[in-house]
Amino acid sequence: MSMDAISELLVERFAADLTDVRIQEPDTVVARVAREKLKALAARLKADPDAGYETLNWIAGVDRETGFESVYHVYSWKTNTYLELHVALPREAPEVDTVTGVWPAADWHERESWDMVGIVYAGHPDLRRILLKDDFVGHPLRKDYVDLAENHPHV
Amino acid sequence: MSERVRTVRYPKLEHFSEPNVITTTADFIFSWARSHSVFPFTYGLACCAIEMLSSGFARYDISRYGMEVFRPTPRQCDLMIVAGTVNEKMAPVLKRLYDQMSEPKWVVSMGACATSGGPFYDGYNVVNGVDKVVPVDVYIPGCPPRPEALFQGLLELQGKIQEFKFVPEKPAAPATAAPAGEA
Repeated sequence: MSMDAISELLVERFAADLTDVRIQEPDTVVARVAREKLKALAARLKADPDAGYETLNWIAGVDRETGFESVYHVYSWKTNTYLELHVALPREAPEVDTVTGVWPAADWHERESWDMVGIVYAGHPDLRRILLKDDFVGHPLRKDYVDLAENHPHV
Repeated sequence: MSERVRTVRYPKLEHFSEPNVITTTADFIFSWARSHSVFPFTYGLACCAIEMLSSGFARYDISRYGMEVFRPTPRQCDLMIVAGTVNEKMAPVLKRLYDQMSEPKWVVSMGACATSGGPFYDGYNVVNGVDKVVPVDVYIPGCPPRPEALFQGLLELQGKIQEFKFVPEKPAAPATAAPAGEA
């Protein structure tokens, strides 16, 4: 299936949920999703027999300064192509539903995104820090993070 | 920079008065034995560990110095080669493992990260040098140090181990005349 065909298929079947669908050569379709639609859309993308986005490769947390973005990189074994789902989140309450129920691989990636950028994944089975120590204060990959003395007990 | 260079001492031919008999001081023989029977702890934290492992294999051959047996448990080790970046999450673990090592024990800080934080200096989760957590005997510069550099550091450590005095200095004996006729 060509990239144009995949893109058309996505627009046709998921028109209500996906916006700004564009092709990023050579093998990725990029699209935006509203955060309240993400969970249901993820399940449909996985179940769709032609699209077949069964595998979640990783989740990125992005600080856009005006807000945050949770970016889902999904892979389809059926078409050997990728889908990049961008979910914009407001800065004051960056919260989005978890997709661990759809793609179990999301578990640790959501924890990392919470740890580093501070995005809350509602409904996550075990949302706690994964890379930093448990008593770390703040989220260090936020643009406005200032290094704190209490995060450096060994001086 | 100190001009001082430590040298590792070995028994020489003149120590052997006859085959299988060696005449030397207790300090020398114990410290020689101890410095050539060091058990390093497998403590690789980052890319320096690759050089440390490479030191262990046939090409560089760490066993020339009698310290080839890397142990995976601190209880059987007396040398911790900190090979890599120490971060704030790892630091308490490192301290605990160091405390579990058997005495006497030494620490070698391998590479820029373990010595000062290196390229990650002042990072949000980086300890700026392992000497903030445990006492360090030898620092090895490099990013990462080649096996040759690690060996120079280990030879330096062997020299340091040999400076240890096993026999306590005796208090000055009271001046008494030796009885005549006794050898």
